[in-house]
Amino acid sequence: MTGYAPGAIVLWAICALFILIPLASFLAYSFLPVVDNAIVYEPTLDNFANLFSNSSYRTTFLRTMLLAFEVSVFNFVLGYATAYFIWRRPPAWRNVLVIALAIPLLMSYIIKIYAMRGVLGTNGLLNSALLAFGLADEPVSALLFNLTAVRITLSVVLLPFMVLPICVALERITPQVLQAAADLGASEIQTFRWVILPLSLPGAIVGAMFTFVLASGDFLAPELVGGIEGFTFGRLVFSQFGLAFNWPLGAALSVLLLVVALAVISVARRLSNPRWQT
Amino acid sequence: MMRNRFIDLPLAAVAVLVYVSLYLPILLVFLLSFFSMRRGKVNWDTFSLSWYAKLFENDALGGALWNSLLVGSLAVAAAATFATSAAILVRSRPDRHSARLLEYVIFLPFLLPPIITGLSLLIYFREAGVGRGIFTITVGHTLFVSAIIYRIVLTRLNALSRNLVEAAQDLGATRIQTFRFIILPNLRMPLLTGGLLAFALSFDETMITLFLSGTDATLPVRLYAMMRVGFTPTINALITLLLGFSILLTVAVALVWRRNADSARKSYREGRT
Repeated sequence: MTGYAPGAIVLWAICALFILIPLASFLAYSFLPVVDNAIVYEPTLDNFANLFSNSSYRTTFLRTMLLAFEVSVFNFVLGYATAYFIWRRPPAWRNVLVIALAIPLLMSYIIKIYAMRGVLGTNGLLNSALLAFGLADEPVSALLFNLTAVRITLSVVLLPFMVLPICVALERITPQVLQAAADLGASEIQTFRWVILPLSLPGAIVGAMFTFVLASGDFLAPELVGGIEGFTFGRLVFSQFGLAFNWPLGAALSVLLLVVALAVISVARRLSNPRWQT
Repeated sequence: MMRNRFIDLPLAAVAVLVYVSLYLPILLVFLLSFFSMRRGKVNWDTFSLSWYAKLFENDALGGALWNSLLVGSLAVAAAATFATSAAILVRSRPDRHSARLLEYVIFLPFLLPPIITGLSLLIYFREAGVGRGIFTITVGHTLFVSAIIYRIVLTRLNALSRNLVEAAQDLGATRIQTFRFIILPNLRMPLLTGGLLAFALSFDETMITLFLSGTDATLPVRLYAMMRVGFTPTINALITLLLGFSILLTVAVALVWRRNADSARKSYREGRT
């Protein structure tokens, strides 16, 4: 079929106007200096020099990347075990369990974060449980308003993003392959090691990378449960658009986030099953 | 399927942990809103009345709700038009390099961290001289939800037999007629599913909106402002209401999804025979 060209031009125009040019202007902003609270339209590398020389930016960035990595690894383990558990259930059970995973995705993100406060707070559920089981003598205040609270909250909130892609990958394994492994005398562990794991790993890696991208750029969870200690890169960026009011520096800081996100996304696309892309 | 208790038991333990951690906090908010009302010595009968009265009293919340519904509807309408056109274009020439590229660009606002989508639009609108408000929020939400609708519509288009389109064209249908009588009827269900899903996403979107809302806050932005100040019974009440709304949307999506899957299977079979 040919002749769709005018439509294609309109679609590309919309993409350019609302996706590509905004991204370009964001990139351009990162090169603009601010003098006396006013943006000067003469590109320099000052913001980036500032970014790399300022040790507090550097530590915040590294701390956030480490945090996102920890959340991804933690969720990878939990998520794989859960997905594998779901996959081993009978089909009817499987559907219910997968739907139960998808439902929280449709719940408001900040509500879920706020709800975690009730679990992690001094009078929260986790403390009550610790006291009830005699694991603590008095409420542990260290559970909320620090980096650990951010870790736990991000893990919980991002878990469905990890489990669902693994479920999809496991679902794609055809029964014949497992049959063949069994016919050739593979033990359950051998089948897992040499058949199931390699076939489902791409899905798991996609999930982990999604988790990483979302965790590294998040500023709502750190803002609401992180307190002063839980200051992350996302919060640093966001503060440039609020109190600090240095938009170009904010743009430069997020260029770093963008580079990380794009690298991770392109690796995820490469690793994901090509069928997903058609 | 092979069964091995030594494998299943630890897996079950992890799965229980995961499901409990997903649902327990939400359940707790329900309980907390209930208890805070009890402490305020409000009995069950006046409970809901005073609650609604409070919501109507708070003009800012009413305005925020209206903004959320308005932005959601506008964004879904815009995204449905944009994403469907894009899906039809990509489907008509899936091997083209430009089609792949278009798909990638459409996915960008969804795949990038919301903070980047938000602030690039903020900078862009500022430079273009467009003030922050309903329009800017709507643009942000439209881009964010387009990927979802695109994905669902494209999946349906791929299941649709090419023979149908070719048959229509052999019978002399114009391109517009083909779209109106062949493609569009088949897209009703996916558009409904995608639209509902997109509306739910838009209704909850906070991070992009925080950058793009001036004085016209949406409900989550309002809620976020309240949460930062502290814990009030109004927050719990509002959350209960919002969760109820989310659950309603979820049920609607699930119901439509099932019908959608049924009709897709049916037309796939028809396409095969």
